[in-house]
Amino acid sequence: MPDLAIPTHATHALAIDGLTYSYPHAPEPALRDISLSLTPGEFALLAGLSACGKSTLLRAACGLVPHFHGGEINGRIEVASIDAIAKGPGELAAAVGYVAQDPETQVVSTTVAAEIELPLELRGNSPTSRARAVEEVALALAIPHLLDRAVDTLSGGELQRVALAAALVTRPRLVLLDEPTSQLDPVAGDELIWLLRRLNEEWGVTVLLAEHRLERCLAAADRVIAMATGSIAFDGAPRDFLAWAQGADTALETPAARLFSLSGIGPLPVGVRDARRTLASISAADRGESDPLRTACTFSAGEALPAGNSPPKKLREEGVRLPSNPALDVRDLWVELSRGETPRDVLRGVDLSIQGGERVALMGRNGAGKSTLLRTVGGLLHPVRGRAEAPDGMALLTQNPSDYLIRERVGDELPGEAGLAALRVVGMEHAVDADPRDLSGGERQRLALAIALAGRMEGDELPGLVALDEPTRGMDRARKHDLCELIEELAGRGAGLLVATHDVEFAAGFAQRVVLLGDGVVIADGPASEVLSGGWYFATEVARVLDLPGVITAEQGAATLRTSGEFALSRPIGLQNTNSAEESGD
Amino acid sequence: MRSPFAYTPRPGPLQAALPAAAVTYLGSLVVVAFLYPSPIVLAATGAGLVLAGRLAGARAAVSAALWMGVTLAFFIAAVNALVANRGETVLARLGEWPVLGQVDVTLEAIAEGAVLGLRAAVVLVAFAVYSACVDPDRVLRALRPLAGRSALTATLVSRLVPVAAADAARLRDAARLRGPAAAPVGRAPLARRLLAGSLDRAVDVAATLELRGYSLDAPRTKYRHGRSRHDRRFYATGAAILIAAVAGELLGTGAFHAYPTIAIDSGTATLVFSALLVLSGLAPMRRNPRRAAVPRSAGPSHRGSLPTPEATGA
Repeated sequence: MPDLAIPTHATHALAIDGLTYSYPHAPEPALRDISLSLTPGEFALLAGLSACGKSTLLRAACGLVPHFHGGEINGRIEVASIDAIAKGPGELAAAVGYVAQDPETQVVSTTVAAEIELPLELRGNSPTSRARAVEEVALALAIPHLLDRAVDTLSGGELQRVALAAALVTRPRLVLLDEPTSQLDPVAGDELIWLLRRLNEEWGVTVLLAEHRLERCLAAADRVIAMATGSIAFDGAPRDFLAWAQGADTALETPAARLFSLSGIGPLPVGVRDARRTLASISAADRGESDPLRTACTFSAGEALPAGNSPPKKLREEGVRLPSNPALDVRDLWVELSRGETPRDVLRGVDLSIQGGERVALMGRNGAGKSTLLRTVGGLLHPVRGRAEAPDGMALLTQNPSDYLIRERVGDELPGEAGLAALRVVGMEHAVDADPRDLSGGERQRLALAIALAGRMEGDELPGLVALDEPTRGMDRARKHDLCELIEELAGRGAGLLVATHDVEFAAGFAQRVVLLGDGVVIADGPASEVLSGGWYFATEVARVLDLPGVITAEQGAATLRTSGEFALSRPIGLQNTNSAEESGD
Repeated sequence: MRSPFAYTPRPGPLQAALPAAAVTYLGSLVVVAFLYPSPIVLAATGAGLVLAGRLAGARAAVSAALWMGVTLAFFIAAVNALVANRGETVLARLGEWPVLGQVDVTLEAIAEGAVLGLRAAVVLVAFAVYSACVDPDRVLRALRPLAGRSALTATLVSRLVPVAAADAARLRDAARLRGPAAAPVGRAPLARRLLAGSLDRAVDVAATLELRGYSLDAPRTKYRHGRSRHDRRFYATGAAILIAAVAGELLGTGAFHAYPTIAIDSGTATLVFSALLVLSGLAPMRRNPRRAAVPRSAGPSHRGSLPTPEATGA
């Protein structure tokens, strides 16, 4: 029987020295000469663009690399003084918990209680200690009400919490999380991050969290490790990371940091509270007014907005006439779905109309009915009452673009002139002979969209409506920017764009209008600048910092600050009330 | 969408019982279905199982199994009517058929097929109730000390089945959403894609099992939710059904002959045995907790308070 005891004298929760790793048959190493250590109780954020090696590093730290994936490894990894290369992931599991991106494949039992109890049972713990551990971890993660539920009845957020509970139930010293919020709505995502912070503070758990949406978790982190092409490019405090990202890769900047850098204000904020404190202290010092930002200009519906909320560029430039028919016409739509044995109204009397060329973000928390609405419009579900019509046709791209890719050659997926026309629309005509599996994530998404469009266009003219369901899952900011450009281009050709998303920053980047669903009902429908600045969870980071109606992007915020506060621009960066900003450290 | 046969945790006696107790109870009814050809006994067994399933809260599973069972029964009866040429009551002469030869549809052949179909339907309902009410985790846990590798395989499969079902549904949706000019997707390419995806999924699930410590050779301990107070009820009911079934078989009750003419035993013993089978369906019924008798003199203020030493005689 293996020795399952964890050394109690470990000075490092994780120590990696000179680690280089290549996957089997890979021409290039996935990790190159990585050296880092995490002290017990640290909360570290792992940042970097897609495919930079974040997931591989996490898999190495929990023993899956090389034990499960094979490949060639050099260097040393120790988790709580246990040699991770010599021991397998099973033996390491007492010291390290791992939560992956997709919660679906992280549960192996039928019920939640059995899932959480399994690691302890496999270690031979007594029934009494198992009962206590399950109860405690369920209370810590606020899931006692889920213990008797079947795992296949849980939402994505609930399932992610259960996976986290199963990883934490052995009370590991180190928890590794690979983009755990990528499938969660802003509410569930924020809850998970602050839950991790609480576990880190109260239980002393060391956390290493890989994330793309840095604005969501930077304020919770003690340290940021940024990776680029398999190496560590930066390792330091969150504020220093923001300064580094400003020069190294702006795709890693948070919206609040971008707001500050565009406005020439410093130091760069690591979170909303930090940013608000800095702005408050600057304005109080310079003007002696109660809240000068309140006097700033605001953007309202109908006014010309800065980048991100302007009408489609091509429509403006080329004077394309919008179709008179609506691209989407939804009237009194009721859709009933069965959850377990009881049917439930998922959509309740939804009314929605979208014009051609309009870019609309469909938002709402998990289970609000976003996907159901898109699937009903796409003809996959039938309403029990009302109607949903796209008079000029529609193309729908569901959450996983790989589901559309069946064949081994792009040209075989899209034969003929119609196929080529669809490839041209998404800018993929050069890849006719490529294997879809060799394409990048963004290219696969474009190809899937071309498959959905093929034959639904008249020449190069798009169908009336193009709908995308949660298209930014696992995307870094650079790829999201590319997607925003594609959306703008499609809208510029006259198609109405309806995009269901949890990502408020992404929505602020492309949408003219935001429709917010809550429990199957439209609870807000208005210009993006209005909806994304009028709340807390469904508001951008810039909106939360400035709290000004109509200001949602860093560019808009910087313009507002310039017109309302010359104070900010008149001083050199980093000199205003540095002490108060450092004290905040949130 | 969730399968109606998927296990749903509920606070019922059948769900709380040990898997062995539940299997004894449901298995005894399946044994009766295989042991007795009488449609009266089979119908009673089916009624008992439907009652048990509904009392256990598996209404959707029972309905789905009944629908499948009735369809299957009709199919079996129809096929048997065509292939079995025995029986004296000829309903239709369909002439010479290739392979089958002279085809005469007889009442007896239809009855025999219907009984076979009824038996299949009863077994289907029994498995539906088992599937919806018996926690597979507890079954696997019970099997693990006996056959570790088989339990591991069963765990992987039991997890992969719903994951693959969800993947298949997504792939079907994506196939329906393809543009009319995109290459059409037939069943074979879709199945290949599903298989390839399932292999990836299997690797992920296996990695999760590895991380949970499945490969550790730690000593197995008892499951904390062991026996329940309902176990004896199911063991006793199952044993009673089996004893009655064997005794009845030895005494020749529940006889049925389709040929040359239909003969059904409907004697008292058969009817009593059938009634017992229907009543056995009450086994999963939840009993209301007994309330302690409160003396008339005791006012409402005494309710919920701890008994005093005087009251307990201490």
